[in-house]
Formats: sequence, C-alpha cells, structure tokens
Amino acid sequence: MAESRGPAPAGPPSRSRLGRWLERERVFRILPLIPVQALVLALLFVPMVLTVYISLLRWRITRGFWTEAPWGGVSNFLDALTDEGFFDAVGRTFLFAGGAVVLELALGFGLALLTYQSFRGRRFYFTVFLIPMMIIPVVVGYDFSMLLIDTGPLNAVLSALTGLDVRVRWLSEYRAAQVAVILADVWQWTSLTFLIFVSGLAALPRDPIKAARVMGATRWQVFRHVELPLLKPVIVIAVVIRTMEALKIFDMPMLLTQGGPGNATETISIYLWRNAWIFNKISYAAASSLILLVVFTVLIYLSIWLLRRERRQLEAETAR
Amino acid sequence: MIRRRHVFAIVRHALLLAWTLVVLFPIGWMVMTSFKDAGDWVSWPARWVPFVDFEPTLMNYRQIFHFGDTGALRREQTEQAYNIWKATFDSVVIVTVASVVSLLLGSTLAYAISRFRTGGPNYPYTVLTIRMLPPIVVAIPLLIYYASLPEAFTWLLGRRVEFFDTYYGLTLLYIVTTLPYVIWMMLAFIDEVPRELEHAARLMGASRLATIRKVVFPLVASGMAVTLLFVFILNWSEFLLALTLSQPKVLTLPVLLNKFQSAVEGRLYGPQAAIGTVVTIPVVVLGFLIQKHLVKGFSFGMIRR
Repeated sequence: MAESRGPAPAGPPSRSRLGRWLERERVFRILPLIPVQALVLALLFVPMVLTVYISLLRWRITRGFWTEAPWGGVSNFLDALTDEGFFDAVGRTFLFAGGAVVLELALGFGLALLTYQSFRGRRFYFTVFLIPMMIIPVVVGYDFSMLLIDTGPLNAVLSALTGLDVRVRWLSEYRAAQVAVILADVWQWTSLTFLIFVSGLAALPRDPIKAARVMGATRWQVFRHVELPLLKPVIVIAVVIRTMEALKIFDMPMLLTQGGPGNATETISIYLWRNAWIFNKISYAAASSLILLVVFTVLIYLSIWLLRRERRQLEAETAR
Repeated sequence: MIRRRHVFAIVRHALLLAWTLVVLFPIGWMVMTSFKDAGDWVSWPARWVPFVDFEPTLMNYRQIFHFGDTGALRREQTEQAYNIWKATFDSVVIVTVASVVSLLLGSTLAYAISRFRTGGPNYPYTVLTIRMLPPIVVAIPLLIYYASLPEAFTWLLGRRVEFFDTYYGLTLLYIVTTLPYVIWMMLAFIDEVPRELEHAARLMGASRLATIRKVVFPLVASGMAVTLLFVFILNWSEFLLALTLSQPKVLTLPVLLNKFQSAVEGRLYGPQAAIGTVVTIPVVVLGFLIQKHLVKGFSFGMIRR
C-alpha cells in the first residue's frame, strides 16, 4: 500500500479554470468533506449545544416558546439523577439488550455451525433464516402483538404442544411482557448474528485447520483451539454491533405494549419519549438525553476501540 | 460410521426445520390474517386452514387501498385512518431522496478517505458514533432545534421556514443517519479497486475527474447499487425519528402502522396485517437482491466476504 501512495503522476494541463482547480489534490481531499461536515454540524452539533441550554431551563412545550421559559439551573439534571424511573429504564434497557444479545449470539452461532458446510437443503434454510432481519421492526412488533394476544396463536400452539390450556397473558403481565419484547427482538435479529457467523466461518483460512487435522487433532480440538480463536474477531464484532443496536430498542416495545403494562417494558428510549411527548417535559427530557449522551459516549468509545482492534486482527487473518 | 453420519444429518435437519418453523410462523400468521374477515382475526380456537377454517377474502386489501366496496360499516374508519397511498408516497419520496443524496455524499467522501486519508485515520471511526448513538438521544435535541429554527429564520431572513413535519426536515436527518453506513460500505468497495489502474490512467494523461468517471466508477458501480439498496431498507424501516419529527402532515409507513396500534376503538388486525404485508414485500425483495452484501452492510464493511 505504501509504495502506491507516492506522489500521484501529474495529469494533463487543463485549459478551463474549473478543470485546473479540480486537478489539485487538495481540492479532492477536502471538497467531499465539506457537505458532510456541514450536515453533521447543522443537524447534530448545533442541536446538542442548544439542548445543553434548554436543559438548564424549565420549559414545557405547552407553555410558550423556550425564550420565555424560566431558568432552572441544574435542577433537571438533579431530577433525572434522583428519579428512580430513569435508572429503572436504564437498567431495564441493559437487561433487555443483554438477554436478547446472548440468546441471539447462541442461537445464531448454533445455526451457523449447522449450516455453513454444504449439504442438501442448505440454500433453502439459508434463505429462510435471513428473512426476519429484512422485515421492518415496526411490522415485527405489530405482528408479535397479534401473535401474543391472550387467545392468540402462540398460546394455541403452546397448548397443543404441552397438552395444557396455556393462557400466558403475554402483553398484560409484567414479566411475560418483558419476555415478549426479548422474544420479538431475538426472532428478528438472530438472522443477523446467524449471517455474521456463517460469513465468518466460511471465510476461515483453510490451512491451519488442515494442518491441525493432519497432526491428529480431533474435530472438537480443531474447533476449540484453531477455529474459535480465528473466529474471535467476528464474534467480538457481532457482540459490539448487536449490543449497540439492542440498546436503542424502541420500535418493538412501542408496538407491543407502549412500554407497559405499567412500566414493564419501558426502555430508556420509551421513557424519554414519554417524558417529551406525553408529559411535555422537554427540559427534563433534554437533561436526561445529555446524561445518556455521556453514558453512551463512553460505551461508544469502548465499542470503537474493540471494533478497531478486531478489524486489524481480521485483516491480518485474511492477508495470511 | 455411516450410521453416525445419518444420525447427524437427521438431527441437523430436525433442528434447522424447527427454526424454519419459528421463522415462518409469525410471517405466515400475518399474511393469513391479512386475508381474513373481521370475525376470524381473533378467535379461540384459532383458525388455521384457509378454505376449511375460514373463507379467504380480499376485504382488508380493498380497505387499505380504497378499492371497490369496503362495506358501509367501516367506511368512516377507512377514511380517517388508512391513508396508505399518502403514506406510501411520503415514504417513497423521503427515503429515495435521502438514500440517493447520502450515497453521493458518502461515496465521494469514501473515495477521498481511501485515496487521500481525508480527515485522518480516525475519521471513519468518528463517523461511526453517529450510528451508535441511540436515536432518542438525538431526537429530543432535534425536536427543540426544529421548533427553534423557524424563529431563527424569521429573525435572520424575515421569512418563516418550517422544519418540523416537513419532507426536507426528515430527509435531511435520514441523510445524516445513513452516512456512516454509506461511508463504511463504500470504503470497503473502493479499497478493492487497485490504485495501479488509476495511476496508469493518470500517466496516460487523464484528468482526476476523468479517472474517477472512467476507471473507478465502473468498478464500484455495483457496490454503489448495493449500498443504495441497503440504505434504502434502513430508511424505509426507520420509525423513531419519523414518529417524533414528522406527523401528522408528513406520515411514513411505519408511523402509519403504529397509528392503528394505539387505536382505542378495537384493534383492526386484518387491515393492519394487510399493511404489514404490503410494506414488507418490497424490502424483502430488495434484501434478497443484495443478500451477498448484507453482512458487509450491517458490519460496516468490517466483515467482507
């Protein structure tokens, strides 16, 4: 890579002014950055700065514009940090994400192990397993809300399988509703972990595996000591990507239970959404958003650090 | 040995078939419900077999598309709630424009990053933060911002410019939120184009622009198509920002679907199922078109196969 990075050969002298201007390397290097940075600045950075200011006020959207709102100092931050509901929502979100991601990884990995070699019917399974992640999350949420009604098909199937009269109140019982949200997420996103693992397994370098086999390692030993270490970057990437996505969870609980019953499925996204749009406590929601922003900045840095490390590892592997 | 292999094959198929059923069951149920008449939506015991347990009907589809006789009783609800034509139009316009613009901005930047290290080695990773941040953290600041912008414009230009509940308000956001995917996917595709080709073209006297147009672009065109479709799917599914910052004037399909969900006067499972089915079909088709590249997309091009 380094040798081809040398000074680019000069093109022909251009007659037009625009042509000559475009011929400069600096133009090519900087020009594409400008619109992107402008958009990020205008749509993410400025709103954030504005939010810092709003979070220091006591503004409710029902009471005029924020320029007329009274000063509140850090009271919103204190309110959020002393509100049990806020911490419960954060805890619940991590619980959902953790539970869902663990299940998705286990199922996805298992299914990938069963499917990555070629056998008759592989193509069919592969195609079917990919469908869920292409369906819009809102549709999945709606679909499950229909499957999970008390007299719905899931209870019917469970009854038929167990021979009992199963009437789990999926959407109106505290624990059951939490399980329902995780189930819907697992149903949809196992397809992604499956896909990632199948790709990872298929891309494993053949030589070390063959060598281990030749030297008399059993199938299990090859898996445990050769394939799994080689697969580690892919696993970490899957964990990081899925976790960060799962923490955003909003669509499914919103469609399934609107955060209820009570606050059983009130994830952080729904908690903030309710505060802003149902209770109109904009300043409070702004302060909570900023607290979350800090939390997520830490998480994101950690994720990116992990992704970078594993990506380097992955590139070293494929280069081999 | 042969026995053991047979046992393994059987177990494998049993497990895979089990998951196949798990995957197909919710989809099958939704599609089936979309063909059921009101009395069959919710019933115990459930009605499973078309033509035996229930008589399939196109009523729900007629209702959502305002096509033919929808029955006098439900007409009122029909007219206020199901404006699927309008929602489809809004979704298509916003998602298409946002995806195309995002693709153009993102690919040119990806090219600059790949060839000139624009923004430094950390830049692509910085961009990733946009995607990792939960949308709700951005949504509330944006709500405040969109509420304030018209005032700012009035003050600056003497003219009110609305952002809340407008096409461009949402489109701009979709451009920004999908840029990380475009940049990372296109980086993966552009990195695969050998620099030697460009150097050769330059030596033969082609200008930079011509080199890109005639050498680089043909080689990454298919990658751009894949990226476009991927981003299209993402935008098509987006819910939180649309729910927050558009509505009621601009209404995308996911928001429309949510509207029925919170309807108090009895849930209308049938029409909802019909909408769900209609909304899903194009995305699944697009998804399978780019099946080989889905991994690349979802892993930000880190897993390339």
